[in-house]
Amino acid sequence: MSADDPERDTDAEVERLFALVRERYGDRLTPAQLDEVKKGVEGVMKAARALRAVKLEPSDGPFPPFTPYRAGP
Amino acid sequence: MSENPVFLPVRQLAELVRTRAISPVELAETFLDRLETLGPTYNAVVTVTRKRALAEARRAEREIAAGRYRGHLHGIPYGAKDLLATSGGIPTTWGAAPFREQRFDFDATVIRKLGKAGAVLCAKLAMVELAGGMGYRQPYASFTGPGINPWNPDAWSGGSSSGSGSAVAAGLVPFAIGSETWGSILSPAGYCGVAGLRPSHGRVSRHGAMVLCWTLDKLGPLCLTADDCGLVLESIAGPDAADPDTSHRRWRFDSAEITGRRFKFGVIKGVTSGCDEMVIANFTQSLETLRNIGSVEEVELPDLPWEAITRTILHVEAANAFEDFIAGGRTAELTAPEDHYSVYARDAILARDYVKALRLRGVMAREADRVLSRFDALVGPGRATIAPGLDQEFRSAIRGSAPDIMGAIGNGAGLPAVCVPNGFGDRGLPTSLQFMGRAYEENTILAAARAWQSLTDWHRRYRLSPISRR
Repeated sequence: MSADDPERDTDAEVERLFALVRERYGDRLTPAQLDEVKKGVEGVMKAARALRAVKLEPSDGPFPPFTPYRAGP
Repeated sequence: MSENPVFLPVRQLAELVRTRAISPVELAETFLDRLETLGPTYNAVVTVTRKRALAEARRAEREIAAGRYRGHLHGIPYGAKDLLATSGGIPTTWGAAPFREQRFDFDATVIRKLGKAGAVLCAKLAMVELAGGMGYRQPYASFTGPGINPWNPDAWSGGSSSGSGSAVAAGLVPFAIGSETWGSILSPAGYCGVAGLRPSHGRVSRHGAMVLCWTLDKLGPLCLTADDCGLVLESIAGPDAADPDTSHRRWRFDSAEITGRRFKFGVIKGVTSGCDEMVIANFTQSLETLRNIGSVEEVELPDLPWEAITRTILHVEAANAFEDFIAGGRTAELTAPEDHYSVYARDAILARDYVKALRLRGVMAREADRVLSRFDALVGPGRATIAPGLDQEFRSAIRGSAPDIMGAIGNGAGLPAVCVPNGFGDRGLPTSLQFMGRAYEENTILAAARAWQSLTDWHRRYRLSPISRR
């Protein structure tokens, strides 16, 4: 993916991800519903873009942190 | 019964029950009658649990007569959002047509704890199907119909704890239990003009509650007053081996006198962005009132995608919790047309973005705690708007169509908040004020809300509601 035009890359990503969703569920949806699902995918990508724009340090791990499980004492 | 118990706060009812001025059986019958006659007016009720209620009320009456008074909730009727498992053949529908006949052979921990406190379960209350987790956009999203607001029958009661809000506001029950993943307690409390408490994540066991999002779901009370919320929370809080997310911190309601106490309130810069004009006007007026009991300081938060963080986590968890239901095409059986297909778009959320949201949640939690450590509470409008019309598509931060920084941070970081009425907007509908605190600081925010209610009378205006007066 080109780093030169993030907007175009995002549009392409929407198309690819929507194609995946359509492949999985398209047979149960009307064209109007598919249009709505595509709007949903655009919303997903909008959120993803916002998340990706924030720089974190590698040490910023997922929260809450993982803890090993042990039953009993 | 010498005194009309309808619209009396739990604390006052409890005193009448304790002193045997009111019989728990008569009390239960009063509210059961209201649930049966007025419940349908508001689409507030799924099941009236008359048989169980009368059995619990008779037991309470015997115990109190024998001098074995258990505490404030002993003999007090209540309703539970219909996502809490109940035994005895009572359906637990999750508000969704495909689960209309669902039954459990055990009581959710919250129901069990309320039973232990002597409270009387009178109804399973209506809710948005699957707690709104499939992406609904308008009020008609439950097989029981849209929740109707006691203040205006053309307006929604909020969601997803729709019946919990309207039943308390209409005097059908003295208190109710709701749940919140993002907004589902504060929304019906705010729209219906009652008090709603979203506890810290882990404060209340979710065992036996429908799972929508493991890291976001919370259970809490809706009541006539903030003080009542504290009384109810004390009975339902606490660790539970059946819910590994519960905190081991014990909690007791500190109902000490608050006269003279000074608070430090913070207001997030831009918190009224996207709010209705009347919501902003009432919030501005509320800040003036709050200055009588403390300081008010504007605070600025870093520019982070707060809503996108919580929304991404919510969408992924809800789609996973209902993975088989969705894959099997059963969303087509739901009531709201948009619930049939909206959830499919969540397959487009990539693992890298979900994990990034989890990493940013740590930043969110630390940043919120850093800011909140300087204050007793952050305050903001409880809801950005008054209740939408029944046929109106509403804006929602969960769908990305509205800002809700306090809801995003509060739910994403698992922080407690209490919502109380602070005036009225158009069409006679209530507006609200929320107090959000540091994790596990329910007593601090309840003290602030109690202080607010000691200065105002919005929480006593229910008697003027034209419908609920019937």
